[in-house]
Amino acid sequence: MRHKIETKNVDLYYGDFHALKNVSMQITEKTVTALIGPSGCGKSTFLRLFNRMNDLIEGVKIKGEILIDQKDIYKIKKTEVDELRRNTGMVFQKPNPFPKSIFENVAYGLRVNGIQDKKKIEEQVEKSLKQAALWEEVKDKLKKSAFEISGGQQQRLCIARALAVEPEVLLMDEPASALDPISTSKIEELIYELKNNFTIIIVTHNMQQASRVSDFTGFFLLGDLVEFDKTKKIFTNPEKQQTENYITGRFG
Amino acid sequence: MLHLENEIQELRDKLLSMWDLVIKQLDKTDISFKSFDRDLAMEIQETEKRVNAYELTIDRACEDFIALLQPVASDLRFVLSTLKINTNLERIADIACGISEFISDTDEDVNADIIAHMEADKMLDICIEMVKDLREAYLLENTKLARTVYKRDKMLDKLNDVASYKAIECLDKFPEQRRQTLHVLSIIRKLERVGDQSKNIAEEIIFYIDAKVVKHRRKEKDN
Repeated sequence: MRHKIETKNVDLYYGDFHALKNVSMQITEKTVTALIGPSGCGKSTFLRLFNRMNDLIEGVKIKGEILIDQKDIYKIKKTEVDELRRNTGMVFQKPNPFPKSIFENVAYGLRVNGIQDKKKIEEQVEKSLKQAALWEEVKDKLKKSAFEISGGQQQRLCIARALAVEPEVLLMDEPASALDPISTSKIEELIYELKNNFTIIIVTHNMQQASRVSDFTGFFLLGDLVEFDKTKKIFTNPEKQQTENYITGRFG
Repeated sequence: MLHLENEIQELRDKLLSMWDLVIKQLDKTDISFKSFDRDLAMEIQETEKRVNAYELTIDRACEDFIALLQPVASDLRFVLSTLKINTNLERIADIACGISEFISDTDEDVNADIIAHMEADKMLDICIEMVKDLREAYLLENTKLARTVYKRDKMLDKLNDVASYKAIECLDKFPEQRRQTLHVLSIIRKLERVGDQSKNIAEEIIFYIDAKVVKHRRKEKDN
């Protein structure tokens, strides 16, 4: 199995605060990797390395190598950063559809990328909504505002929007934490399906979710990657006592 | 199909494969016992390693299922019953292996009259039918079929109860073959255990499907 993403000895500082400490990880292509750990442990910071979203925060300093397809994404030209972000879709904790129609939300990225062919856009919108398991629920109301559908549907719409520009990597930052159990279950099923075509990294506070959807799990604590292994191993017999304490709820 | 449903199907398939293997072991035991085929008896002992490996695989799969998927309600009952049925099946296979060891270790064929008088052959047939019917009951989620083994377990208990008296009769009737009589008696004791294991399996199937705990009940209406 090929490594799609690799970090080598990554340190990240927010000013004087050392948020990631010497983190090395290899992420296999077309798998789901879950990042778990208590608040402030660095998991979301680590996730945002891969689309260079941390660049937008003032005072950030990054050391080490972050490779996608063997290419250090912090050594690319500024003009290539847009391409990197197109290639790494991101879904956030709260659904954030644009104040546009359902159709236009998904078509937005395509138009921004210069695609004007109406038929091609329609095809891609339908394909993305189907991939996000939303098509059947919205196919008759594509022109309605994205705000008219439920929170769970909005989140799947955001996933469809991310998929429309055909990224290879999908970053998810607690994508189901604001949703009810049924919507959460739909998102989890969707992640399980999507891993056939995408490399997915998901940050979650919900350990049960990590165990259900992921192939690999990384446990972060105070900026350290304490343990990274197959999810089966982490949730049945972790190597480190700190991991065991955290996943069993004995963490102080 | 949902991810969870996929995993349930995989686990169910694994247990059914284990079940098939145990039934094969019992069928071979039946043939080797009735024809004193020592090569076949050795084959059963060789295959026992595969049964043990299956048991470990299913144990591990159940552990993963619980740890990773946190099943509740019928899904939880499914995995708990699978875990216990797995153990019961392995014990049944152990018994088949034990009988095969007796066959491969004896120098002479057992007098068929002793076997018939003590009804060991009949007991073996009942055991095999029970295990086969239970597989069907598990596959079809048919608790009515599962409950039918209770009667047969009682039948095995009765045959086991009278076996000592029949053994005494055989010791008198066939004084030259006392050793054989004692061996058949020990096989009967083992077969009675297969009945108990089968009853346990039936209880697990009922627990999984009907959510009823029927074990340790003194009076069963189904009996």
